[in-house]
Amino acid sequence: MTVAPALRALGFLAPATPPPDVAGSIRALPRPHRPGDRFRRTTRECLLGLAAIDAMLEDGNAGREAIAGEGTALLYVTAAAYGASNREFIERRGGVMHFAYTAPAVVPAEVAIEFGITGAYGILLGGAPATLRAIEHAARLLEAGRCARALVLVVEVFEECAELYARHRAFGRGPLVETAACLWLEPGEGELQFESTRGAGRVDRTAPREERFAGGPLADLRAWRDRARAEALELSGRWRGERARLRWNMTRSQPRGSAA
Amino acid sequence: MARAERVTVVAAGAVTPIGPDLETFWSSLVTGVSGISQIERVPVDDLRVQRGGEVKKLGRIKDWRGVPDGRATRLLVAAADDLCAQCGFRPLPLDPARVGVVVGTALGGVEEAEKALAGGRARRLREALYDAPGDRLARWLGARGPVITVSTACASGATALAVGADLLRSAEADAVVAGGYDALCRFVLRGFDALRSLTRDEVRPFDRRRSGLLLGEAGALALLMRERDVSGPRLGTLLGYGSASDGFHIAAPEPEGRGLERAIAAALADAGVGAADIDLVSAHGTATVLNDRIETAALKRALGARAYQVPVNSIKAGLGHTMGAAAALEAFMCLLAAQRGLIPPTLNLEDPAAECDLDYVPGHARAGRPRLMLSTSMGFGGCNGALVLEAA
Repeated sequence: MTVAPALRALGFLAPATPPPDVAGSIRALPRPHRPGDRFRRTTRECLLGLAAIDAMLEDGNAGREAIAGEGTALLYVTAAAYGASNREFIERRGGVMHFAYTAPAVVPAEVAIEFGITGAYGILLGGAPATLRAIEHAARLLEAGRCARALVLVVEVFEECAELYARHRAFGRGPLVETAACLWLEPGEGELQFESTRGAGRVDRTAPREERFAGGPLADLRAWRDRARAEALELSGRWRGERARLRWNMTRSQPRGSAA
Repeated sequence: MARAERVTVVAAGAVTPIGPDLETFWSSLVTGVSGISQIERVPVDDLRVQRGGEVKKLGRIKDWRGVPDGRATRLLVAAADDLCAQCGFRPLPLDPARVGVVVGTALGGVEEAEKALAGGRARRLREALYDAPGDRLARWLGARGPVITVSTACASGATALAVGADLLRSAEADAVVAGGYDALCRFVLRGFDALRSLTRDEVRPFDRRRSGLLLGEAGALALLMRERDVSGPRLGTLLGYGSASDGFHIAAPEPEGRGLERAIAAALADAGVGAADIDLVSAHGTATVLNDRIETAALKRALGARAYQVPVNSIKAGLGHTMGAAAALEAFMCLLAAQRGLIPPTLNLEDPAAECDLDYVPGHARAGRPRLMLSTSMGFGGCNGALVLEAA
């Protein structure tokens, strides 16, 4: 059991229309435009990460100075966002410098550079359970006083590897929905309970698609908030045989002076 | 605030270019064996630099059941096999649901993506996701607790050990197999070749003539348990961890090493020790012009006068930079140095650079029995990590 963090803001980018239930289809996010020569070579997944932070700041009615510095911890989660840049490099479409962009660490690095974030960090690779674990880890960092605020950033992109996903049985049964989202967490009160179990068998392929990749729990969180927090918040997810669940007592967990 | 629960490093296992197990790794370190050779497993004819720390043989393991033939997964399982041979951890002596796995990697199963894109079987795609080798390791071990893959570039091994310790402190697991791995493949060799980070010379950490790194491959895993749950032999204690982002550049370190300095300060604070308590530093020490100068400056600021009083070594000259495995191997080196009373040398250091003026243990292994050790890591994207370890 961990002290629940307060949700200061949520930035969430997703395709505007609901995904059709078509096997192998991908609902892609458009490549965000960002002015400046520094972003000329920046990959789509990095630009989406930056856009998610912009959306989060707007949601929290805050300027970028509010998250700059050593007091902000940054936790990044993805299962597959690096696939796009990896493919580009493998197929020799990228230039010399493109190699640096193949590392999963580059998405939070671009965020840290752009917004001046220099605190503790973590990068978890995996599906929805990794996102829940990152939220719990953020709560622990806050509880221990290792940061003043924690950002949990999730980016999942699929479009660049669309036909590869379509070829694979495990991914080809339903639409894949791209996500770029970021939570802004601050010290709160109440309880956060994380549970995880892992079966010995294969991945449960009947699990809802949204639960499988890293963006699923944050989509659920957004939906919960859009319903005006009518019920207790419980997030769940499955990936590679792991089933994880996060119970978050949000009603007792409002940050002081928050717009959230 | 109460001190965090102490986490014991019970045992370790490894497969490296200088030895297929931890004991050979150690004896090669102290006798100055180099594992650098012509790369043979993948084509390198078109690359400017064709040498690295390649593991030539992975043949000792008897049970590959359920393990796919991907190189990354096999390195990881080979390291686990060595670990299990030392501490009798397979079959698991604990409830499998209470055993976790945390691995760090810079590349995951990316070689499987290369094969899938070259027309290989579609099922390789699932193995290409970076968390696949960790999942395979858990299945090989029979572990059914938390399985986590972290990827903080070349600091990944340190992050994995720290996350493993967190799982124990939060009582999510009673034992955790944690460490790092990465395989040499066309993907990474071509990338570093293009970046001109690789040297055609020997790897010479902190030397005036240093001209870059060579890559290596390895798997390195430790068994971590809460101190109160351990009654038998042990390697040492993982006392503290710190991390900090540079927030400066995608591929280059921050010129003053401020991020590394913050990571060291955080690790010392987490461990509850001061700079004056540190007896040995295992440096990231890649032998690039920038890294060694910046790391030296950061160590001086973080440790003050103590930086000049303690040995600071780098083991990358003989291994190559083993990426996701590097920090875990360096942590094991620290603990073995304390246990065996010998500090491995920094190979190929003959003429120290003017800006690198610490005691880097040149030449030969040195007698010494450190009690508290600091291990530092710096990675792409400005990922800085630091571990504080204590002798058994």
